[in-house]
Amino acid sequence: MRDKAKLKMKVNGKTHSVEVEPDASLLEVLRDQLNLRGTKKGCEEGECGACTVLIDGLPVVSCLTPALKCQGLSVETVEGMEDGKKLHPLQEAFLETGAVQCGYCTSGMLMSSRHLLEKNTNPTAEEIKIGLSGNLCRCTGYVQIIEAVLSAVKKIKESEK
Amino acid sequence: MMPFDHVNAGSPGEAVDLLTSYGGKGRLIAGGTDVLGILKDRILPDYPDVLINLKTIPGMDSIKESGEGLNIGALAKLADIASSPEIKAEYPALSLAAESVASPEIRTMATIGGNLCQDVRCWYYRYPHHMGGRMLCFRKGVGPCYAVKGDNRYHAVMGGKKCFAVCPSDTAIALCALQAKISIFGGEGTRTLPLEKFFTPMGNVLRSNELVKEILIPKPTQETRQAFIKFTERKPVDFAVASIACVLEILGGRCMDARIYLGGVAPMPWHAEAAERIIKGGSLDDPTAEEAALASVAGAKPLKGNAYKIEIVKALVKRALLRRQ
Ligand SMILES: Cc1cc2nc3c(=O)[nH]c(=O)nc-3n(C[C@H](O)[C@H](O)[C@H](O)COP(=O)(O)OP(=O)(O)OC[C@H]3O[C@@H](n4cnc5c(N)ncnc54)[C@H](O)[C@@H]3O)c2cc1C
Ligand code: SF4
Ligand code: FES
Ligand code: FES
Repeated sequence: MRDKAKLKMKVNGKTHSVEVEPDASLLEVLRDQLNLRGTKKGCEEGECGACTVLIDGLPVVSCLTPALKCQGLSVETVEGMEDGKKLHPLQEAFLETGAVQCGYCTSGMLMSSRHLLEKNTNPTAEEIKIGLSGNLCRCTGYVQIIEAVLSAVKKIKESEK
Repeated sequence: MMPFDHVNAGSPGEAVDLLTSYGGKGRLIAGGTDVLGILKDRILPDYPDVLINLKTIPGMDSIKESGEGLNIGALAKLADIASSPEIKAEYPALSLAAESVASPEIRTMATIGGNLCQDVRCWYYRYPHHMGGRMLCFRKGVGPCYAVKGDNRYHAVMGGKKCFAVCPSDTAIALCALQAKISIFGGEGTRTLPLEKFFTPMGNVLRSNELVKEILIPKPTQETRQAFIKFTERKPVDFAVASIACVLEILGGRCMDARIYLGGVAPMPWHAEAAERIIKGGSLDDPTAEEAALASVAGAKPLKGNAYKIEIVKALVKRALLRRQ
C-alpha cells in the first residue's frame, strides 16, 4: 500500500484536514471520510453529473477529481446550500415544482443550477438547459427541473426587493 | 481503481525529470477527465505507479494575445478558452470547438493540452476490465482490430489502416485550420511543430519524456471567415460523429485561401485538401460548395456500419462553406 497523504481543504466554509489515499477521488473523500453523502456516485466516468460540486466556485465532477488536487482549495457541496435551517431558494423551488423524484440527480442539479445563477441571474430556459447539460436525470424528463430553476430566479428576485 | 501515487510538478522541467525517473511508470495528469476514466476501467494492461500532476505548474494555463497571435498554455481550461472574448472575436472556430466539448463541469476541469493528447474512444478499446476483461486489440499492441468485423458505426471512414478509431479531439481540427503550432518541452529542450504534424494514426509524436507546453496560433487576417460545426447524436456531452473546422480568406467575394479539416472521421484530423483546391480562387456559390463537399469524401472507405458518416460530412462541408459570418 502507498503512504497516505495529508489533505487540507475547506468544505462548505469549514477547514478539514484529512489523511487520504493518494488515488482517492474527491467524491470518495467527501462521502466516505467526511460523511457528506449528499453528493452522489453515479457513473464515476464524468458523464452523469450526480457528483457535481463546486471548487472555488466552479462546477466539477468530483468522481474525476483526485482529492489531492483540492489541496488548499474551497469545496462546496449540497450540504452547504441551506442557510441555517432555511433552504436555499433553489432547493425550495425543486421541492415545490416536483423536480425531485428519486432524488439521485438532485444534488448535482442543485450545484450546477447554483453556479448557473451566479453567472447569470436571469437565464432563459435554453440557457438553463445548457447550464445543466452535464447533469442527467432518469426520472423527471427535465421539464420540472427547468421550471424549478425559473421559479428560483423569481424567488431570489422577490427576496431582493 | 488500482492504487497509484500522486505527485505535484512545480515546473515543466520537474515534470520531465519525474517522467524520466519513473521510466514509463509515470503518467501525466492535467484535468484528469480522460486519464482517470482510462485508469478506472483499467483498459490498458500497463498501469502507472504514479500520476504526475501538471496543474501545479504556475503560469502554464495562460491565454495571451499579442500582435502576432495567440499563445495558449497547455493547461488553459476549455471553459476559459470558450468564454474568452478575444478568442470569440478573433478565433471563433476555436471558441466554438472548446464550447462544444462535453459539459460545463468537464470544461472547467479539462485542459487544451489534455484535449489534444486524449486517447481514442473506440468502445472495444475502452471496454472496462472489471466487466469480463479488457479487450486486447491492435492498438494495444496485441490482437486484431475488433471494429473491422464488429459494430463500427462511430469508426473511421477515411485514413484507417490497422486501427479505425477516430481522433476524438474537437479543438484539434479548429487549431489545425487556424494553422496552430504546438510547442513541446522535453529532456532535449523545446521543439515546435505545426499541429498537423503532431498527430499520428496511433496517437501523437510525443516521446516518453516530453510534454505539451503551449499552442501558438497566428493572428487571422481581416479577410478571414471561420466555421466550426459538430454533428452529434445528442446535443451536449457527446463526441462528434463528424465535424468540420474551416478557415477561409475571402477577398472581393473570392476565396483566396482555404483550410478545411474534418473531425470524427479519421484517426487524425483529416485535411480535406481536395475540397480546398476546388474552392480556391473562385467565388463560393452553391455548385462550388457542392463540388467541394463531394471532393472532401473522395476516396473514403467506409466500414460496414458507418457509410452514413459520408453523407453527414458532405452536408457539413456545404453548410460550413456557405455560412456567412
Ligand atoms: C463525459 C465526457 C465527455 C467528453 N466529451 C468530449 C467532447 O465532446 N469532445 C472532446 O474533444 N473531448 C471530450 N471528452 C474528452 C476529454 O476528457 C476532454 O476533451 C479533455 O480536454 C481532456 O483534458 P484533460 O486536461 O482532462 O486531460 P487528462 O485526462 O488530464 O489527460 C489526457 C491525456 O493527455 C495527457 N496530457 C495531458 N496534458 C498533457 C500535456 N500538457 N502534455 C502531454 N500530455 C498531456 C495525459 O497524460 C493523458 O494521457 C469528454 C470526456 C468526458 C469524460
Ligand atoms: S479501432 Fe483501434 S482501438 Fe478500436 S478495436 Fe480496432 S484497433 Fe482497437
Ligand atoms: S458520478 Fe461523477 S459524473 Fe457520474
Ligand atoms: S429525480 Fe431521479 S434521476 Fe433525477
